[in-house]
Amino acid sequence: MIGVTRAIAASIRRSFILVALSGLLAGGCASGDTGAAEVWDPLETPNRFIFSINRAVDIIALRPLAVMYRDLVPDRAQTGVRNVLDNLGEPVTAINEVFQGDPNRAATTMARFLVNSTIGVAGIFDVASSFGLERTKEDFGKTIGLWAGVEPENGGFYLMLPAYGPSNARDATGLMMDYLVDPFRILTFNLAIDWDVWQIGRYGLNAVDYRSRTIFALDDLEKNSVDYYAALKSAYTQNRADQIREKREKTNARAELERRDNLALVR
Amino acid sequence: MPKVASRRVVLQLAALAATFAAAPLVGPAVAADPAQLVQNTAQQVIEIVKTKTGAARQAAILGVLQTSFDMPAMARSALGTHWNQATESERARFEKAVATAEAKAYSERFGQYGGQTLTIGKVTPRANGVTIVDSRLNQTSGQPIKLEWEIRNDRITDVKVEGVSMVMTRRSDFNSYIQNNGGKVEPLVRELEARAAR
Repeated sequence: MIGVTRAIAASIRRSFILVALSGLLAGGCASGDTGAAEVWDPLETPNRFIFSINRAVDIIALRPLAVMYRDLVPDRAQTGVRNVLDNLGEPVTAINEVFQGDPNRAATTMARFLVNSTIGVAGIFDVASSFGLERTKEDFGKTIGLWAGVEPENGGFYLMLPAYGPSNARDATGLMMDYLVDPFRILTFNLAIDWDVWQIGRYGLNAVDYRSRTIFALDDLEKNSVDYYAALKSAYTQNRADQIREKREKTNARAELERRDNLALVR
Repeated sequence: MPKVASRRVVLQLAALAATFAAAPLVGPAVAADPAQLVQNTAQQVIEIVKTKTGAARQAAILGVLQTSFDMPAMARSALGTHWNQATESERARFEKAVATAEAKAYSERFGQYGGQTLTIGKVTPRANGVTIVDSRLNQTSGQPIKLEWEIRNDRITDVKVEGVSMVMTRRSDFNSYIQNNGGKVEPLVRELEARAAR
């Protein structure tokens, strides 16, 4: 597994060199710019095409559903749903925390999972938090980002995934890995029961729940940008970089401040 | 009157310090200023949102933006490398259009907000004259939002929401628009002016 991580990290490093090279070839017109301003997007045309389809689906189906969910479902029910979905995601988080080199945190996450699955009635109630076991959310994209020796703004090429939305080489790989190691998916697959229906329900509910919590931010971004695709690309990249940087900062507090200095000097 | 106002600010800061004793608040005397700037700005905006609506609110927000924020510097960074090729009049029109757009965005954004409070966290002065003020926007429901303020020469030069920098996002947005419209600044300025007039 670590070998795979290394390989991915290496490929990202390689792609970084490619970016640097192409930057040089382009005549260095963006020489003063830093990673976050210009996201590498060689697939821009197909990405924009998928983005337009995603938006159509969003406008017709997902957003209205999310709005109804947000406004009509009682808050406590929403919290319950959120907790159940989060609880199902805990094993994947724990696995990632092991790969991030934090077995203690992974143990806490598993403890949360056991407590909430039993006392918390299949995860409906987040009892573990009241025991002082705080929730974390990790994914393989962050794990790769933590070990890849590049700026977290550089996640390889930008990728607009159908239905899922903004991603990049790093995070899409991470998404695939998370899907593969997910014990609940393996369980339903191996037992060959039609629990697949439950899985689809889970992913669907996750989508609606997540969309309902991003309505405000995405509406705002769309309304206040002249090129929504470009603004979303930048915002996504920065947000993910921030999450990865937070992970890195635990071991390297100085790096962030130095990066900020460099940024300020560039401007 | 200014005496009362400053006493109120001191009281607020004291209250903040009391409630968030764990956070390293207002360390050296130099670092106290940026934190106060952020706190005052937030207070002004909350006051405006509470008392004003519509065009009056937008005008008041614009006033706050022009006094507390370094709008010309933000506009310049948002235009990035294209700033150099813009003509003097384009720059002026661009700055004006961006200020209007920001004021409009803020007044609408806060129109939907209600009951939030801002708590100032760590203040980090940097060697290059920039100070970073970490803060948290506490919502009535849900997780608090992470806000970072960048301050240079007693003016706010950038705000990061959950790691997403306003200036950076604008820069990508504008840059892409310019590239898709013949690499000229003019169409962008016209688009922004049209939006401002709407």
